[in-house]
Amino acid sequence: MGTISLRKAGKQYGTSEIIRDLDLEIADGEFVVIVGPSGCGKSTLLRMIAGLEQTTSGKLLIDGRDVTTAPPVERKLAMVFQSYALYPHMTVRQNMGFGLKLTKLSADRIKAKVDAAADTLKLTPLLDRYPRELSGGQRQRVAIGRAIVREPVGFLFDEPLSNLDAALRVDMRLEIAKLHRALGATMIYVTHDQVEAMTLADRIVVLKDGRVMQQGTPHELYETPANLFVAQFIGSPKMNVLPCSRSGEGRLDLSGEGAIELPLASEAAPVQIGARPEHLFLVAPESGHCRGTVEASEYLGGNTSVFVRNPRLGLINVSAVADSPFRIGEAVGIRIDGARASLFGADGSAIARRQAA
Amino acid sequence: MINALRWLVFAVAAFAMNFPILVTLVTSFKSARELSTNPGLWVYAPTLENYATVFTVSDRLNIFLYLANSVAVAALGTLLAVALALPAAYAIGRGRLGERTLLPFIVNLRAVPLIIFAIPLYMMFQWLALLDTRLGLGLILTIVNLPLALVILVNAIRDLPGELDEAALMDGATRFQILTRVIAPLCRPAIVTSLIFGFITAWNEFLFGLMLTTSKAVPITVGASFFFAASGGGVQWGVASAVMVVGALPPVLLGLIMYRQISGSMTAGAVKG
Amino acid sequence: MTTLSQRSPSSEFRLLATPLVLFLLVFLGFPAIVNLIYSISDVSFETLRQPRISGLSNFAAVWNDSAFWQASWFSLRFGALTAVLECALGLFLAIFLSPLIEKRSWLMAILMLPLMVAPALVGLMYRLVLHEFAGPVPYYLWTWFGASFSFLGPTSAFWTLIVVETLQWTPFALLLFYMAYQAIPSEIVEASAMDGAKRWHKLWYIELPLMAPTIVVALLIRFIDGFRVFDNVYVLTGSGPGGSTASLSIYIYEAFFKQGAIGKAVAASVILFVASFAVLYGLNHIASRRKGAVK
Repeated sequence: MGTISLRKAGKQYGTSEIIRDLDLEIADGEFVVIVGPSGCGKSTLLRMIAGLEQTTSGKLLIDGRDVTTAPPVERKLAMVFQSYALYPHMTVRQNMGFGLKLTKLSADRIKAKVDAAADTLKLTPLLDRYPRELSGGQRQRVAIGRAIVREPVGFLFDEPLSNLDAALRVDMRLEIAKLHRALGATMIYVTHDQVEAMTLADRIVVLKDGRVMQQGTPHELYETPANLFVAQFIGSPKMNVLPCSRSGEGRLDLSGEGAIELPLASEAAPVQIGARPEHLFLVAPESGHCRGTVEASEYLGGNTSVFVRNPRLGLINVSAVADSPFRIGEAVGIRIDGARASLFGADGSAIARRQAA
Repeated sequence: MINALRWLVFAVAAFAMNFPILVTLVTSFKSARELSTNPGLWVYAPTLENYATVFTVSDRLNIFLYLANSVAVAALGTLLAVALALPAAYAIGRGRLGERTLLPFIVNLRAVPLIIFAIPLYMMFQWLALLDTRLGLGLILTIVNLPLALVILVNAIRDLPGELDEAALMDGATRFQILTRVIAPLCRPAIVTSLIFGFITAWNEFLFGLMLTTSKAVPITVGASFFFAASGGGVQWGVASAVMVVGALPPVLLGLIMYRQISGSMTAGAVKG
Repeated sequence: MTTLSQRSPSSEFRLLATPLVLFLLVFLGFPAIVNLIYSISDVSFETLRQPRISGLSNFAAVWNDSAFWQASWFSLRFGALTAVLECALGLFLAIFLSPLIEKRSWLMAILMLPLMVAPALVGLMYRLVLHEFAGPVPYYLWTWFGASFSFLGPTSAFWTLIVVETLQWTPFALLLFYMAYQAIPSEIVEASAMDGAKRWHKLWYIELPLMAPTIVVALLIRFIDGFRVFDNVYVLTGSGPGGSTASLSIYIYEAFFKQGAIGKAVAASVILFVASFAVLYGLNHIASRRKGAVK
C-alpha cells in the first residue's frame, strides 16, 4: 500500500508561508509529478512528505496513518536526492545496504536484498566500487537502488535528473518510467522541467507560490489548462496569449486586428485568447484571423518557429513546417485553430468554451 | 634575473627566520672546549657528548620524564579536545545550535590572554589535587586546543552536503549514528588536521606548564629551561642546545609531515556529477 | 524506539553539544566566578578558603599601580608593532616568492619551520644567539665590525623582543597571504590584463583588494597574540630590565607568583577579561554587520 494524503498542509518559515493549505490525495501506485518554477515550494512540499521539513499546519497521512510529526524513518518512504547524496566513503554495496544495516537485519538478508536490487538496475558489476569511481548515470542508479532495497511504500524524487546531460536524462527518464511499471509503487517526483512532467506523470500537480494551480493528467493540463499560468507553464514552446474582447454572440475581437468565431459556454467576458504555436497556421495575408510581418524564424529541423510581429498583438510564435517559404519582413496571415484555443478572463482563470461540434 | 632575486630573498628570509634554530642545532654539536673559542656558525669538531649528557638522568634533570610528560599531556589535551569538539561541531554546523552564542564564545577564547583563567585554575587544581599532575595539565591544554579544533571541524562539517545527512535520516539513522557513521569518516582529514595542530600547540605550550607543574608533570618546554639554570660554572650552552633540539624535534617533524598531507577532501565526486 | 524517534531533532543536537558545554562550565565558568569573588576580596595564600569581601580596593590597587599601565602600554605597542611588521613582511614574501613556491612546495615547509617550535624554546634559543660569549651574533659583530652591543639592555630590549617575535611569526602571515594569493581566480587577473593593467596596477587594484579581508584577519590575529605575549618574553628578559618588558600576562603572573598579591592579580585578570571580550564581541558585531551589508 502507499496512499499519501495532505490535508490543509502548510509550511511557514517565520512569517513567510512556503506552502499554504495544500490538499493532495495520492493513490497507491500513482506516479505524481509536482512541477513549478523555482521558488514555488515544490521541493519543500516533497521534503515535508519525507519528514525532512516539519509540517507547521494541517495533516499528513500515509496509508491512513497520521505521520505529520513522525520522523522520516517511520514514514517508510525512500528519497532520491538531486545530488544523489551517496555516502562517499562507502562502496555501492554499503551505500545500498546502509539503511538495512541500521535496522539490524542479518548480513545474509542484506546481501540478498542488495543483490536483487542491483540486478534490477544492472549495478551488479559496480557493487564494490566507490561513488567517485562511477559516472553520473551510474551514481543516479545507485541512488535509486538505495531507495529500492528498503522496499518503501513510496518513492520521492527531488529533481533527480537535473545533474545529468541531455542524452542521459532521456535514458534515465525511460528507466524511471520502466521502474514504476515494474514496482507499481507510489512515486512522487519533483521537477521544474515540464517535459519530464509530461512524459512521466499519471498526474501532474502544478505549484505556484505554495498553492496548487491545477492537477490532472498531462493531457488535461495540456488541452484544458485551468488558468493562464498553467497554460504558459505546460507545453513547449510557450503558448501565445493574445489580448481580445467579446464583440458579439460567439465572436471575439482581436484588438481590432481581426476576429474569430468561438462559441462560449457562459456570459463571462474573456480578455485573452491562448493558442499554442502548433495550433496556429501561416496563411496568405488576407485569409487568416489576424496578420503581421515575419520578424524572425528559427529552423529546428523537424519544424520551424516563425515569429510574427503584430503591432497590437505583440510577437506571435507559429510552428510551421520545416521548409516554410516565408521570408523575414514578409506580410503573412495567421489562422487560429479555434477548437483548441483557450480563453482566459481578467483574473487569469480559464473560461469554458462550448465545444464546436 | 628577477628569479635570481627571488631566490636571494628566499634565502635571506629562510636564514633569518630559522636563525635561532640553526644556531641551536650547530651549538648542540660543539664540545664545551670548542664553544669557548668558537661561537660561530661552523663546527670544527662535531661531537655528540652534549646529547649524551642530556640523556644522562640526574636527580634534578630527567629529560625522559619531561618528554613522557609532554607526550602524555599533549595526547590527552588533543584527543579530549577533538572528542568534545566533534559532536559539538556537528550540533553547531548542522543543527545550527549555538551558532550565535557557543561558537563565537569559543572562538573568542582563542584570542583571550589565557593568563586570565590561570590563577583561579591554579587554586581550583590545588583543591582538587590536580597540581603537578599530567591529568591536570592535559585538561587545561584541552581548553587551549578547543577553539581551533572546533572551528576546523565546524567548517569541515559545513562543507559536507546536507543531503548526506538527509539521506541517512531517510535510511533511518539517528543523529548520533549519522555522526559516527557518515560525518566522522568524511571529516577524517579535518579530524587529523585538528589532532596534529592540537598536538603541536599542546606540546609547545609553556605558561600553564610553568604555573601548574613543579616536578612530577613538568613538560619539556618548562624542563628545557631548567637546563639553563646556572649551575656553578654558568649555562652549559652545548647541553642546553641539545635539550632544545630534542624538545623542538617532535612538533617540527609532525609539522613537516602535516604540510605534505593536505589531501583533497573525500567528498569530491560523491556529490554533483 | 519510540522515545528516541519522537525526540525532536534539536534535542538530539543539544545532547551532542552537552559534553563540551559541561566541560566549559567546569573549567571556565568556575574560574570566572572565582575570579569575580577574589577580585573584590581581601585574600592571601593563607586565607584562600575564607576570602573577605573588601569591595573594589583590589581594582583601585591595580588602577593606581604604574606597573599595570606600563605593562598595558608594552602589550599594546608590542602587539601593534609586531602585527604590522609581520604582515608587511609576510605580504611581501608571499607575493614575491609565490612563483618559486608554486613550483616547489617544500620551500614553504622551510619557511614555516619557526611556527612549529615552541615560543618558549625560541626565546631560550635567543639567549644563546645573543649571549655575549657563546652567541654568534655578538661574536660576528665583534670580529667583523669591532662593535659590541647590549641586545637586552634597557633601551634595546624592547626592540630585540620585537625582532624575535617578528621573525618567528612572519611565516604565519606569509602562509595566510600565500593561500589567499593563490585563491585569487586567475580569470580575474587575466581579465585585468586584457584591460591593459600593468603588474603594479594588477597588484594595487586587483590582488591587494581581493586579499584585504585576509590582511585584516592576519593583522587582528597577530595583534592579539602579540598583545598577550608571555612565553618568549618571559624566558628571554623575565620582565626586565626594570619591568620595561613586562607584558600584561607577565604582570599578572608576577603579581600572583612573585608578590603573592592574589587580589591584585585577579582584579587585573578581570579587567583584562572584560576588556578582551568587549573588544572581541565588538569586532564580531562589526564583522557580521559588514557581512549583512554585502548580502
